[in-house]
Amino acid sequence: MRFDSPAEQNVSDRMKVLGQPLRRIDGPLKTTGMAPYAYERHGVAKDQLVGYPVGSAIAKGRIVSMDIDEAQASPGVVGIVTTLEMERLPKVDWNVAYLFGGREIQHYHQAIAVVVANSFEEARAAAALIRVEYEEDQDATYDLAAVRQERLSDDVEPIDNIGDFESAYASAEVTLDATYTTPGQCHAQMEPHATIAQWDGDHLTLWTSNQMIEWSRQALATTFDLPAENFRLDSPYIGGGFGVKLFLRADAVMAALAARKVGRAVKLALPRPMSANNTTHRGLTIQRIRIGASQEGKITAIGHDNATNTLPGGDGENGARATRRFYAGENRLLINRALEIHLPESNAMRAPGETAGLMALEIAMDEMAEKLGMDPVEFRIINDTQVDPSHPERQFSERHFIECLQRGAEVFNWASRNKAPGSRREGAWLIGHGVAGAYRDAPAETSGARVSVRPDGSIRVETDMTDIGTGSYTIIAQTAAEMMGVSLEVVNVDLGDSRHPVSAGSGGQWGAASSTAGVYAACLALRKKIAERLAVDPEALEFSEGYVRYNDQQTALSELASAGSITAEDSIEFGDFRSEEYQLATFGAHFVEVAVHATTGEIRVRRMLAVCDAGRILNPMTARSQVIGAMTMGVGAALMESLAVDTRHGFFVNHDLAGYEVPVHADIPEQQVIFLEGEDPYSTPLKAKGVGELGICGVSAAVANAVYNATGARVRDYPITLDKFLDRLPEIA
Amino acid sequence: MATIAFLLNGAPHQCEVSPNTSILTLLREHLALTGTKEGCASGDCGACTVAIGEQNADTHTFTSANACITPAHQLQGRHLVTIEGLAKEGRLHPAQEAMIECHGSQCGFCTPGIVMSLFTLHNDLTQRPAPLTPERLEAALGGNLCRCTGYRPIRDAALRMNDMPYERPQWQDAALSTSENDAEITDPTAKTPFFAQPLSLAALTRLRQEAPQARLVAGGTDLWLESTQRLASLDQLIDVSRVAELLTVEATTFEGQPGWWIGAGVTYTQLEPLFEEHFPAFAHLLHRLGSQQIRNRGTLGGNIANASPIGDTPPVLLALGARVELASVKGSRCLALENFFLDYKQTAMAADEVVSRIFIPQAIERSQLRVWKLSKRREDDISAVLGAFSYRIEQGVLHDVRIAFGGMAATPKRAQAAEATLEGSAITADAFRAAQRSLDEDFQPMSDVRGSQHYRQQAAKNLFERLYLSLSAPDREVMLHAYAH
Ligand SMILES: Cc1cc2nc3c(=O)[nH]c(=O)nc-3n(C[C@H](O)[C@H](O)[C@H](O)COP(=O)(O)OP(=O)(O)OC[C@H]3O[C@@H](n4cnc5c(N)ncnc54)[C@H](O)[C@@H]3O)c2cc1C
Ligand code: FES
Ligand code: FES
Repeated sequence: MRFDSPAEQNVSDRMKVLGQPLRRIDGPLKTTGMAPYAYERHGVAKDQLVGYPVGSAIAKGRIVSMDIDEAQASPGVVGIVTTLEMERLPKVDWNVAYLFGGREIQHYHQAIAVVVANSFEEARAAAALIRVEYEEDQDATYDLAAVRQERLSDDVEPIDNIGDFESAYASAEVTLDATYTTPGQCHAQMEPHATIAQWDGDHLTLWTSNQMIEWSRQALATTFDLPAENFRLDSPYIGGGFGVKLFLRADAVMAALAARKVGRAVKLALPRPMSANNTTHRGLTIQRIRIGASQEGKITAIGHDNATNTLPGGDGENGARATRRFYAGENRLLINRALEIHLPESNAMRAPGETAGLMALEIAMDEMAEKLGMDPVEFRIINDTQVDPSHPERQFSERHFIECLQRGAEVFNWASRNKAPGSRREGAWLIGHGVAGAYRDAPAETSGARVSVRPDGSIRVETDMTDIGTGSYTIIAQTAAEMMGVSLEVVNVDLGDSRHPVSAGSGGQWGAASSTAGVYAACLALRKKIAERLAVDPEALEFSEGYVRYNDQQTALSELASAGSITAEDSIEFGDFRSEEYQLATFGAHFVEVAVHATTGEIRVRRMLAVCDAGRILNPMTARSQVIGAMTMGVGAALMESLAVDTRHGFFVNHDLAGYEVPVHADIPEQQVIFLEGEDPYSTPLKAKGVGELGICGVSAAVANAVYNATGARVRDYPITLDKFLDRLPEIA
Repeated sequence: MATIAFLLNGAPHQCEVSPNTSILTLLREHLALTGTKEGCASGDCGACTVAIGEQNADTHTFTSANACITPAHQLQGRHLVTIEGLAKEGRLHPAQEAMIECHGSQCGFCTPGIVMSLFTLHNDLTQRPAPLTPERLEAALGGNLCRCTGYRPIRDAALRMNDMPYERPQWQDAALSTSENDAEITDPTAKTPFFAQPLSLAALTRLRQEAPQARLVAGGTDLWLESTQRLASLDQLIDVSRVAELLTVEATTFEGQPGWWIGAGVTYTQLEPLFEEHFPAFAHLLHRLGSQQIRNRGTLGGNIANASPIGDTPPVLLALGARVELASVKGSRCLALENFFLDYKQTAMAADEVVSRIFIPQAIERSQLRVWKLSKRREDDISAVLGAFSYRIEQGVLHDVRIAFGGMAATPKRAQAAEATLEGSAITADAFRAAQRSLDEDFQPMSDVRGSQHYRQQAAKNLFERLYLSLSAPDREVMLHAYAH
């Protein structure tokens, strides 16, 4: 079905099951260890062998030779595939780095060989025996700051160049010109990339861990030069992704190559220490932000010049993205300098662009409010806009940013915050409060599903949509239960299999809204089919409590399907009005209180509040889970997460969970989340938008602003560790 | 390959495993019990957490462990409980029920490990009822990373599970009637893999002499990373964790000093009560050493023998004037700990020796101990710098000053110049400034991810400032507590 105009009143509005705070239906499987993840599917293919990968020890150059004799002779080894056996394998555009094949090395830990053995220990031991001789490129560059400096005068096509920024800025009454840096960040999802591969002739099945089944099927077709139909992917359970599993990755390619070579099923997991440099990360950024405003606090000019690292062909982390649309201001100059640097592939991580961009922009807003002598909440309110500033002819479909700020201020008791930086003490601690705004687009993508009524009256939903912890199983089941008038317990959801209809997949915050709309479409098709059988107008049918009711009659679904399942399939396609006439986005406000130790500078986050405006909330429990999880990642980004770059050898040094610190239990305080009541009929028939990425947007800046408020020491270089402000702490009386 | 016998979720189990197989590989690869997850294979994430039960006299304790770095052979005679074992006949364990109810699971990959940590906490709480303080909760959960949930729901589950009805099932107290195997190696020169588990010091030292090329393993929390992270094969192993003499703590007098002989195989968790009573600052450090899972397995002997410059206990032991006993078939000898560390990961231990015991002298009257560990994260993190200060104050003057640092040199090392500066001096700002200056003579630290040379030098000096503040203005809080409220 097409979604060509704003949604009107429809079946999903019943909200008997949708919108309810229901427990996850996959909870029991997950808490008992029965949910099957990619690497552990012993049953799917017989006689699985184990592959162990080898990564490049240089960042840029080429392989001169590889000696695999000793490895080959090592006990248990069945076969070895090396990158020298083949030309560089083709890739699709959304992968930036090549995944396998050829002599060229593009980045550190690029996959260069896979050893296949009978057991894991044997494969691992043999992998250690492969000797590689490299020729390192001497002209490679790994230092973003240095390259940016050299190339600042380059002509870069701005993303937005509206009005006359330079003169508006020059004549503004109050101005800010500050530069912020964010480090590379690692997804650090708990499940490493893993795949089991098995060939049957020229057909390949991959049991893998992937967010976007169809994208990856297409990518496999390109890489292996076979029709997409020859590939099947299955990813029913995914142990986290956050963007790192959006695309085909080396684990799948190596498992497939290895399985082809040895003629048996092969399983392979990327060892944790190889993940950070082999896969992707959120790119580093250096962001110069200039804001000009009137004395009254109206922004007149806004400039955002973002520099980020990428391998050839990528965009890096485009920090200026959110700035396009977040605040009003007539004169705008936004630039993204994606600089070619030979670090590993920078690519999407939870709210790509917005996360790093708002880490900077929302500190700048705080600094600007201070210059103006204004409450930072008020300053943001004054600069709210109901139209897309980069395309003023387009309205925001729904935008309640002001309410987010106001509601948050009230609940957080913002009025009693510490007002003069560095002035509130409680015992040994300096107390500070910070606020930041959150903005994230709300895209939607074509999404399909197949829905059946089965003879026992149960409903089955099949789609290649994935659940990466987001709660897809549950909200899809809720959608089907609502549409077909049954209870949640009788809905059976099967996800992540490429044999199912193609969905939007999990990415870009479009997953929940699009996939439930797809299930809605398929359910409508099924209702129509049932109406045809009953020879009644589908509009006259009412589905409830496992029955179809019409004209004073009722029939149980089980009876309708007694002769065999009734199945319908459809997908939702989103019309251009959604993106051309309107700008759809989600908004939020984050409020944070921190305590900073007056003598040592150690930081503790004490309380956090998020108020979100994200359309209709399909399940407040799963939505809240998404937001608090994202807030936690935002605390990590604010206070500890940073991929340390070795600028001599071009790799991330802290490439394991011992070195790359993510928050632990003790770091996270009480977190409160409020969803504004509301629906966005311009978004989907269910009037829903995503929240999974919104939750991280702005959080880190709220923490940063709170640290500033506590100490009076501004840090513009993330993460905010105490060494960066220790010498600026207030004098202890 | 050798056979091991143990209880698996209440039922006796026997299987053949090679010496270098971890419990995690045994479960996931050999037994197709895949509920236990692998997130890192380095003890950092806790996804692989299992519970290991031990039957002592009348108690049956379960402690959490990282299956990824625990040798499967150490299961011999123990009770292994995994996520698959908790729910019986469709009835979920309260830890599982509460995790579902509180939405403590999203992608679910960390969940089995978290449930197992909660299981051991629950078992503890039901066996030894005591208030579930925030500290206790954090200790139980600190070794489990979760990238999805934001942790609070898990904490809620930990609180919630205690209100749920629970009847201790019989399988939890199942016992195994098997003797522990004291493996003998027949021909140590042969290149055969083995995992020897001597029960006495005599057997251990004999093995050590016969097979000096074999590696010693205690908790495995350092050693096993050589296998999982650096791909070493580790196929000849001598396990010290069952050697009776290495498992005792004895209060006694040595060379005229009262104190304790602590067996090298005593774990951090076992040491906690002793340290709580006699060296609270040391106990506080233990709470920040690794995670609960690591503390349940890691040993004092392993920490010393490993000789890492950033090991946590050596600086404290140096400050306390600890002695280390080395044993071989020829007998034993005792060294001051500072004479044990020679250079980066080089020690005075000969190829046929083992660390058998450590002597910690009892603190003499009016002496004090301060220990400060600086790491980026509050929990489960390795030190950038660790300073330990031991001293006695008599009429305002510092005596018997012993100061040692980790993270400042190639070995854990005493700051002798700084000690000399402070010895006999009054507690004045000048004296401490002078001590800070003399630290430049003691150390030229190096730069790495955990800290630059400058940071380390500065941070170490700042600890002198902290000490000065804590002595001159005792009511000022300079020792950080976990909570900001
Ligand atoms: C996630 C994680 C966090 C950690 N955090 C910390 C931390 O915060 N602070 C810290 O200090 N350490 C930490 N460690 C390191 C480790 O836990 C400790 O060093 C621990 O004390 C090692 O003890 P073990 O019994 O596990 O030693 P093992 O790993 O068994 O052995 C370590 C070394 O000592 C040798 N050895 C063991 N026992 C003897 C003996 N009796 N005689 C002679 N040689 C012997 C072994 O051959 C090996 O070379 C951490 C480790 C991990 C995996
Ligand atoms: S797998 Fe991460 S701690 Fe064992
Ligand atoms: S639920 Fe995904 S890591 Fe914890």
